[in-house]
Parts: sequence; C-alpha cells; structure tokens
Amino acid sequence: MLQTQQLIAGQVWSTAFKNRAVFGLLIGIGLLLAYAAVTGWVSLQQQNETGRKYQQQARQDWLSNPDKHPHRMAHYGHFAFRPKAPLSVFDFGMESFLGNTIYLEAHKQNSVNFSEAGFSTGLLRFGEISMAMVLQLLLPLMLFFLGFGTVATDRETGTLKLLLSQGVSWGQLLVGKSLGLMAVMLSLYGPVMVVTGLLWFGLQGGRVSADQTIRLLLLMGAYFLYLAFFCVIAVLVSARSKTAKTALVSLIGLWLMLTLVLPRASQALGSYLYPAPSKARFLADIQADVLKEGDSHNPNDPHYKGLKDSLLTAYGVDSVGQLPFNYSGFVMAEGEKISAHLYNDHFGRLLSIYDRQNRFAKAMAFVDPYLAIRNLSMALSGTDFASYVDFQRQAEQYRYEMAQKMNDLQIHFISNKKLGPTDKPYQIDRKHWEEVPDFSYQSPGVESVFGHEAISLLAFVFWAGLLWFVMVRFTKTLTAL
Amino acid sequence: MIRLAFIQFMRAGGTRIGLVFLLVVGIISLFVGKQFDQRQQQAVADVVQFQQTDFPRQAAIHHDDLGLLLYYLKFSVVNQTRPLTALAIGQRDVNASIQSVTIRALEGQQYDADLTNPANLLLGNVDFSFVLIYLFPLLIIAFTYSIISAEKENGTWSIVAVQSRHLLRFVGGLFLIRLGVLLAVLGIIIGLAVPVLGIPMDSTFWLFLGTSAGYILFWFSVCFWVVSLKRSSSTNAMLLLGIWLVLLIVLPTGVNNYITARYPVPEAQATTLAQRKGYHEKWDTDKTATVEKFYAHYPQFRQVPTVAMPFDWRWYYAMQQLGDDESAEQSGELRQKLQQRETASRTIAQFIPTLHTQLQLGELARSGLGNQLRFLEYTARFHEKLRLYFYPKIFTNAPALAEKWTAFKVDTFADEAPIHPGSVWGPLVLFSTLFASLGWFRFRQTIYHL
Repeated sequence: MLQTQQLIAGQVWSTAFKNRAVFGLLIGIGLLLAYAAVTGWVSLQQQNETGRKYQQQARQDWLSNPDKHPHRMAHYGHFAFRPKAPLSVFDFGMESFLGNTIYLEAHKQNSVNFSEAGFSTGLLRFGEISMAMVLQLLLPLMLFFLGFGTVATDRETGTLKLLLSQGVSWGQLLVGKSLGLMAVMLSLYGPVMVVTGLLWFGLQGGRVSADQTIRLLLLMGAYFLYLAFFCVIAVLVSARSKTAKTALVSLIGLWLMLTLVLPRASQALGSYLYPAPSKARFLADIQADVLKEGDSHNPNDPHYKGLKDSLLTAYGVDSVGQLPFNYSGFVMAEGEKISAHLYNDHFGRLLSIYDRQNRFAKAMAFVDPYLAIRNLSMALSGTDFASYVDFQRQAEQYRYEMAQKMNDLQIHFISNKKLGPTDKPYQIDRKHWEEVPDFSYQSPGVESVFGHEAISLLAFVFWAGLLWFVMVRFTKTLTAL
Repeated sequence: MIRLAFIQFMRAGGTRIGLVFLLVVGIISLFVGKQFDQRQQQAVADVVQFQQTDFPRQAAIHHDDLGLLLYYLKFSVVNQTRPLTALAIGQRDVNASIQSVTIRALEGQQYDADLTNPANLLLGNVDFSFVLIYLFPLLIIAFTYSIISAEKENGTWSIVAVQSRHLLRFVGGLFLIRLGVLLAVLGIIIGLAVPVLGIPMDSTFWLFLGTSAGYILFWFSVCFWVVSLKRSSSTNAMLLLGIWLVLLIVLPTGVNNYITARYPVPEAQATTLAQRKGYHEKWDTDKTATVEKFYAHYPQFRQVPTVAMPFDWRWYYAMQQLGDDESAEQSGELRQKLQQRETASRTIAQFIPTLHTQLQLGELARSGLGNQLRFLEYTARFHEKLRLYFYPKIFTNAPALAEKWTAFKVDTFADEAPIHPGSVWGPLVLFSTLFASLGWFRFRQTIYHL
C-alpha cells in the first residue's frame, strides 16, 4: 500500500524538477542562502571582535588606574559588551534592534547603547536577509508555487478522476503529494542545515557544548516541521480548489496574510492596548521614588538620619567621625542598595508592559505558524528579547556588585576623619582593583527557552494536530470534480 | 467602451474586496500614525514638565553652588515631529526624538538609547509608507496581470481585437482606469490624513504626495511592460510576484546586509571608551596641565578671574571638556562612517525604486538617518551654547538663584535641510518612463498578433 504513496510522491518530485524555472528558483534561493550565511558570519565576527577588543581595553583601563579613593573607581566604572550567540549566524532575530554596549557606573543604570538600528539608514525597515529569514519567508512561498497545482492540475486535466477510479484513495493521494513536496523541500532544507551546522561548529572553535547541540537539533526539528506544514497546506488548498489558478491566488493571499499583515497587525494591536511610558516619565518616576527614600549624597534625608542615629546608639558614640569605619562609604552602600532596588522595580514593570504588548504576537502563533517559528527560532538562536533582558540583568548585577565592592573598600580602608584643606586626599592601593573580576556574560541554558516559548511549542503541536484533522476530514468530503 | 470597461472592472468581486482591504488598512495606518504622533507629543510634554519642576527643585537644593547644580541639570532638545512624520515613521521609533544633556562631556550622553520594545521595532509599523510601499503594488499586480491574457484564455480577445480600431489605445485605457482608481484610493487616504493628522499643505506635502503617486506610476509601468510580453495569466502573475519579491524583500534586505557589513561602526565603542578615559584619568594627573589644555581650547576663559568656589569647578569642567576633546577623533570617524552609510544607501537606492521611495519619504517626513545626524549636530551646538553660557558664571561663582531657571525652555530642532524635487522624483520618473516605453514598443510590435 505504501507503494502507491511513494509513486505519487515520486511523480511530484519529477514534475517539480522537470520545470526549468524551478531550477532557477532553487539556484536563486541557494545564492541568497549563501549570501545570508556570509553576511551573517561577517557581522557576527565583526561584532564579537569589536566587543572582545573593547572589553579587554576597558579591563586594562580599569586595572591601570593608580592608587586612589575607591569612590573615584566606582565612578570610573566599566563596560559590558553583549556578545553574539553562535547561532545568531543563522537567525539574526532582534539582534540589530538591541544595543550591545553598556556603561556601568555607580548610582546610575545606563541604557544599553549602540544598536545597529540606531545607525541604520532606514533600509533596515525592509528587514535583513538571514538563513532563518529565507527558511521562514521565502521557502514557504516557493513551496506554495511548487504545490499549488499538485491536486488542482490533476483535477483540471481529468487525471484525478482516473486515479481515483483506479482505486487510489484520497488519503493515499494527499499523503503522497505532501510527501513528494516535502522531498523537494528537503533538497533545499538539507543543505541549509548542513551549512548552519558547519558555521555553528566553526564559530565555537570545535568546543561544542551540550546546550548548543540541543539548540541546534531543536532548531532543525522545528524548521522541518514548519516547512512540512506549508507542504501540507499547499496540497490541502490545492485539493480544495476548482482550478490551479484559484489555488495559486488563495495560497499567495494566505502567504501575504501570514508573513506580512498578521505579524505587524498583532504587534500594533499589542502596543496600542498597552502603552509604555516615555523615557522622561520613566526616569522621572524613578527619581521621584528615590527622592522619597532619600539621596545618599544628602545625609540629612529622614531615612539616613534614622540610620545615623541607630548607628550612633549601637556603637555608643556621639558623632559619625568616631565610628570605627568610614561612615560616608556606609551611607553610599545603603543608597546604592535602595536606588538599585527601586530601579529594578520600575524596570521590571516596564518589561511586563512589553511582555503584555508581545503577548498578542505570541498568541497569534496558533493562527499563524510563521509567528510560532519566528519566536521559537529567535529564542533558540539566542537573539530574542528574553536573551537581551538576561544580558541587561547580568550587567546590572555586575554593576551593583562593582559599586558595592568599592563602597566596601571605602568602609574598610578609608579613614573616617575629615580631611583638612591641605591634607593629601585619602587613597587605597591599586592592587584592590584586581579584586573586581571582569564582566563576562553567561548565556542562559536552553531550558530557559522552554519557559519563554511554551506558547510557540504548543502552537507547533496544535498545528500538527489541526493539519492532520483537516486532512482526515478532507478524505471524506473531497470530490473528484 | 472605456466606460463599460470601468464598470466591468469595478463589478468584478475581487476588485471591490481588494479596494476595501486597501482602504481599510490605509485608514488603520493613519490611526497608527496618529498614535505615534500622540506618543511623541506625550514624551515632549513629559520632558517639558520634568524640566519645569526639576530645575527649580534642584536650584533650591544647590543654591549656593552653581557648579554642582549644573552637574545635575539636564537640558532637553526635541527633534520636532511634523504631522507628516506620522505617515512615514521611518527611524523615528528607533532613535530618540528627545536628547537630554548636562553641560558635562557630551560624547557619553548623545547616544543614549530610548526606551523601546524591540519586538515592536523588529516587526515594524503599519504606517502609511508600509501600505504604499508593500500593499499598493500587490493590488496593482492583481488588477492588471491578466488584462489581456484573461481575454485570450476566455477566447474573447479576438473579438475585442477586431472591434477596436485603436487596440493599443484600448489597452492603455484599461490601464488608465486602474491607475485612476488606485490614485483615487491614494487621494482618499491622504485626503483623510490631512485633517486627521493636521498636515499643512505646504510644498513638502506636495512633494510627498507626488512621490507616492510616482511610486504607483512606477508599478503600473512595470505591469504594463510585463503584460506587453503577452504570456499566460499565471506566467504574468508569477513574473510580477517575482519582481515584487525581488524589489521588496530580496534586494532591500540584501543591500541592508551589505551596508552593515561594509561599514561597521566600532567607532561607537571607541568613542565612549576614549571619552571615559579622557575625563577620568585627569583626576590623577597634574591639575595645572588640565586647566592649561582647557584654556588652550577656550582662550577667552583665561581672562575670567579666579574666585573661591565650594569645589574647584574650573578644573572639574576642564576634565569633562578634555573627555570630549580627547575622543573627538573617534567621534568624528563615527560621524563620517554614518555619513558614508547614508550616502552609500542613497546612491544604491537610486537604482531600486522601492528603496528610493522609502528613503525619500523618510527624508520628506524628517524621519531618516539624515535627520538623525542633523539632530545630533544640533544637539552638539546646543550643548556648546550652554557650556559657553554657564562656564563664566560657574568660574565666578555666580549665585545660582540669580538665574531664572524657569526661563530655560525645552529647545526644539526644526530640520530645514533643503530637498530638491529633482532628486526625489528623478529616479521614479526615469524608471516609469523606461518600463512604460518598453511596454509600448513591445505592444506596437505584437498587439495584433492573436
């Protein structure tokens, strides 16, 4: 019985490759993929090299500071550069819209600056060509072009009646045609995955981690499923259409809706429903909260007055100058704690607004498989918003620890006595600068993807089930005419 | 006959669905633009309010120390959003339209990113320029691809050919009907945009409208040419969709990748690093050398008499100034790189009408990279003006409360860079003429071949 399906599949395969235009199409897409691979590789190397270079330089600058007061070092600060994940060579994701450099200093949470988009001429608005983009956008369209006639042409020419009367069932026909289309799809998809695998391997210098391997395998599986969906959709629409032309028009309309209109529309709806605050308002709100709590640079704030009084009582002294440690360092540490806490609070709230905005586009994965693969692919490649937020969190954590380390040094090594106008300023030995480790970003494990992209994964299961269900239904309702 | 053809065209089911779809998305795009405009205005209102409450508050706290007060005060400049910007949002949602700067070193401040949801940026706006650039051509293709081939496939072409004395004029008429209808849709959307977004009907507006119409004309000329090849309906459809795909997806994304890889900007990082070093190192170097370098930059301040201050602000702001001075080289290279990117993409775009239209609409709406670069330049001038105004006051320890802080309004940058109609319309007119004449010659040769 399987033989019938193989025969039908083989016929789809040979018709596809009999057409000279198809070869042109395949070569064109192949060239695009090569171009995407090369530019992806170049920009990844460029950014990582720049990042590495300046990360080292920033570290050296930090270490080569002379003896000085630790608070000066807290303001000298450090930089964090966001490295690109190895799989970003495959899917650029949001990479270009995310900043990659952040200046870390005491008391201040800076924004992550220098996104590629900020330096773009507006061409970026058309998107970028990456291997993922070709697989997500162009390959489905090609499958539609190859598949619109699979059943409809047979119907138009009358061969469909012949086939069915010879005892071929609708089930065999639909499965056979789908398998044939999938075989054509594999002829492009296979090489892409091989190239991706090689690039991915090369980028990691041969040191492949289990985490990265799981990511790559999942990515391969997800794209295979995604493209298989489009093969089945093409066959089903073709089977439903009276003529090949209507099948083509419906499929192209479907492609436009899925890839161009729905994604933008759902994102627009999300940001319309959940407006985010302007930067001025966001910062003003934080400042207002900080003022309420008190500013560590103004020791007369109520919070710090209470702190001072309790310290004086605890140590049984009557002025901060008599305390056995540096009081202003202590105040600074307290201020850093409060302001970092407030900032993280506000920032968390902002992120939850963004989350709500994005929820529409995520939930749309049940209507639009393009959104399902898009989100999942970015997450697995480490080029999604969640990975970026993770970087921001690690950088902020590092900033906080660096500032507190400097406050700690001040508390322990700087005298509590006020300097006279002619005294040499207090300073500590430069060897302490080494006690702060360099910033190094730790990318999160693949398990975090399952948490963020549960909806996309579910959508894949849903789509597989839905298409199966539709196919089974069609075998009962379709007619040869 | 043309009247009948018009009625026939409008009666077709697909036509009306397509037109309604286009109108609806067009109108939605106006609301997207309106919302963008309101967000911009809100952001400006927020920053105006902040400046108005923050300045007097800070002045009250630091009334005895002008140098310290100016360490904190942030003066804002707004990149004016015009009503037209709502039609072509361009890069305006990526780049901050508001810059807030203290008189300290500028380089560390002017690239501060705005707060945005990158998912919104990634998927892009459904603004008018999106509707025009992506969706109009699709409808033009759908309306014209089978103008002759459908008649042939239905077997009615020979009747039409025999009955018409000027067949080419008849075919031209069919195209003109469709052109007229789509220009009318464009007219309706823009006509609604004028009151909804409050767009002034100045010369920029007419240039904008003309560019949009020119873009539609370009696509009609392409369709006219493809139809003149007299292939079957499905070949025409495939060919035109292929052209659409190449002009709107493949080439633009390819050019973008090329420009990004060809002109990388490590100078951005180099600038901030140099700026930090330039300033912070001066804490540990000879004070007089720092102040001397400062005087070399601003000889006029050498004359300002030295007075007692709560802190040596002259030295402090000299350090800040040196942060900028010592990163000036990297910063200049960065600007040059960006200028190169802008020039390169403009040059390439002249040969790709879709890119050209996108860039020109952005330029007219003041939402492109060119506008952003001019805004940064203006910010630098604004910053310099503030420095020159405040430095002598700080150095003579002028009383902070003598200054009328509420008089410092948020400044606005109005981009007045000239735009030449020739460079905007030239490529569109050229390509439209090219394809229309190609089609016309082809038709003249083959139109009576049945």
